[in-house]
Amino acid sequence: MFKDYEKVFMRISILFSFVALALGGLFGFIQLVSRTPGFPRLVDASGYYTALTGHGVLMAIIWTAFFIMGIAVFVMVSELRVNFRKTLLGLTLVLTLGGTVTAAIPILAGRASVLYTFYPPLIGHPLFYIGLAVVIVGTWVFSAAVIDVFLRWRRANRGVGIPVGAFGVITTIIIWLEATPGLSIEVLMDLIPASLFGKPVDVLLDRTLFWYFGHPLVYFWLIPAIVAFYAIMPKLLGVELYSVKAAKLAYILFILASTPVGLHHQFVDSGLSFEAKLLHTTLTYSVALGSFVTAFNVLATLERAGRARGGGAFSWILKLPWRNPVFAGLALAFILFGFGGIGGIVNASLTMNYVVHNTLWVVGHFHLTVGSIVTLVFMSITYLIFPVVFDRNIFSGSLAKIQPYMWFVGMFIFALAYHIAGIYGAPRRVDDSSYMGLSPEIWSPLLQIGAVGGLIFWLSGVIFILNVFASLKFGAPATVNGASLSNGSGSEPEDEPTIFDRLSIWIIVALILIVIGYTVPMMEIFSRGLSPVEIVYIGG
Amino acid sequence: MDRWEALWIVIVAATLGIFIGTLVAIAGVGYIPPSEVEAEYRPTDAVEEFKPGVRSLGDGVYEVNILAYRFSFQPNKIVLENPKEVRFRIYSNDVLHGFNIIGTNVNIMVIPGYVSEIVWRPPPDFEGSYLVICNEYCGIGHSGMFAELVIKR
Ligand code: HEM
Ligand SMILES: [Cu+2]
Ligand SMILES: [Cu+2]
Repeated sequence: MFKDYEKVFMRISILFSFVALALGGLFGFIQLVSRTPGFPRLVDASGYYTALTGHGVLMAIIWTAFFIMGIAVFVMVSELRVNFRKTLLGLTLVLTLGGTVTAAIPILAGRASVLYTFYPPLIGHPLFYIGLAVVIVGTWVFSAAVIDVFLRWRRANRGVGIPVGAFGVITTIIIWLEATPGLSIEVLMDLIPASLFGKPVDVLLDRTLFWYFGHPLVYFWLIPAIVAFYAIMPKLLGVELYSVKAAKLAYILFILASTPVGLHHQFVDSGLSFEAKLLHTTLTYSVALGSFVTAFNVLATLERAGRARGGGAFSWILKLPWRNPVFAGLALAFILFGFGGIGGIVNASLTMNYVVHNTLWVVGHFHLTVGSIVTLVFMSITYLIFPVVFDRNIFSGSLAKIQPYMWFVGMFIFALAYHIAGIYGAPRRVDDSSYMGLSPEIWSPLLQIGAVGGLIFWLSGVIFILNVFASLKFGAPATVNGASLSNGSGSEPEDEPTIFDRLSIWIIVALILIVIGYTVPMMEIFSRGLSPVEIVYIGG
Repeated sequence: MDRWEALWIVIVAATLGIFIGTLVAIAGVGYIPPSEVEAEYRPTDAVEEFKPGVRSLGDGVYEVNILAYRFSFQPNKIVLENPKEVRFRIYSNDVLHGFNIIGTNVNIMVIPGYVSEIVWRPPPDFEGSYLVICNEYCGIGHSGMFAELVIKR
């Protein structure tokens, strides 16, 4: 099924994502320990922000993007039975790896401690931005590769519904292509000229462009995890997905409304009107609908599987294969999805946001979401696809069994404590929050409880990394073959195409929504006139 | 998609609709994002006319101009007597900063090139001091950037 070069691509991108996870995890450990009162301070302030930049970039961008590229190839080829073009995959790797290394050098040297949001006018070394631009171009090449596979499949399969996994991959790519123009404009027009020639920039405009990209980025992470719920979990349990149509509805909601919502990260920015913010709140709640539809569908599928195993009204929960690490990871991530989603509703409310904006609440929130729903799902998928991609079995089955549970428990404690600390105002992104003894007393115990939880899930991450690298070297030759993971029949050709399969219509609607959503704030910014300010070099 | 699923979608959509309605309703009574309270924007050269300090407009109404810069606020000790309504105007002359009075709803980004404004009605019974912090990363000394707000009765 997989061509050799496809396997090579998957191996390189997935292994590279593990390296990013490992290094990012090391930085996470350093932060966690250093910022907690009563714990040893491992680094000074400058080291802290270097680590924080590394952690944010490696975790939020490199770990997720490389793993996603790997499984995108896996899902597309195994579901559609169409192969990728070798040159496009090759070029993708050259650009994304080259760009990552280029950007990593100034970060690790402490010359680009601008954090992963790199808000100007704080400006780091030019290589950081140039590397980033090259990575983006690489992801566009990859997007072209996926679209090419999809179109070739479509031409040969007229009148057939798109299989639900491939649909998710296509959705991910569409959202990525909706999102990246914002970032590209910011980087090319402002940040690279600023870092090279000191060009003054309008900070509000650049923040708006960044978050034009930043929110859909969230769905770029999330949808591959949802693909696992829709396309992998039912197969694992030997049942059909409860509703394919609802799954596609959810994807379409994500395509429609994942972009014109970025202002929900700028609720407390001056210079943007209440009306624009309200518009983005409303659209945010319509993407939330997609998550709720997903929750129902997944839960109903789980119930179907539990009942098929002889469970009753509630006992079906116990009948599920909780000892299988793939299932356990997916199901535990799904539970955290509930908490992450509810927190997200709070964040997205423009009248509640200022209670939590830039506090540890937010750190709690995204460790539940990208740090768990996405990361834990990717870890469990790894247990499933590792034998297929690397031709070796996982080294230790028993470590794999406890790992998802450790992550879940640790994350639960960490996220709960950080959410509460955030409500008490404890800030994120600080190496030290004592404020010469003026800070509220409640912060310290909450941070300490959070650190205990953090250490537990950090250890779970260490176990995961050691286990996969050990598998490469000592894993027994693979016993699972690729075919057993894909549908026996190749795809689900019996599925009638639905209204949701007519992607071009939905893409047009999405573009219209983006134009409406961003005309309003952009008109405000530009009609008032830009207010560019001098840039400030980091460390200078 | 079956009946239950359709019902679920309707329920969720209605709930989200109620959320949005609530937002609009409570915005009507003044609970709107802080940056939008009579915001006024000035180009960079406003810094000359921007005089940091506390101005009493009488009857418990204050206007407080604050300059945010790496890594402090000016003034960094603000004393208010029997304040009823305080208008903070904050200006940064270098990078992005935050302005968060811990334990209150005052939490606003300070974007260089723009004046951030927010009106605050302090709790009438509070006496003592608040910690004010910069809550947006601004460089290596970020965690040392804070001020004190003292309320006297
Ligand atoms: C492996 C264990 C991990 C630990 C111990 C850890 C710890 C932390 C801590 C303490 C912070 C807050 C730093 C601060 O605001 O001062 C943080 C920030 C962050 N973490 Fe993690 N984390 C871990 C894993 C992850 C994972 C798996 C992801 C996502 C895939 C992630 C994404 C982020 C992001 C995006 C930030 C924000 C960075 C910023 O504010 O610029 N973390 N992490
Ligand atoms: Cu968002
Ligand atoms: Cu700061």
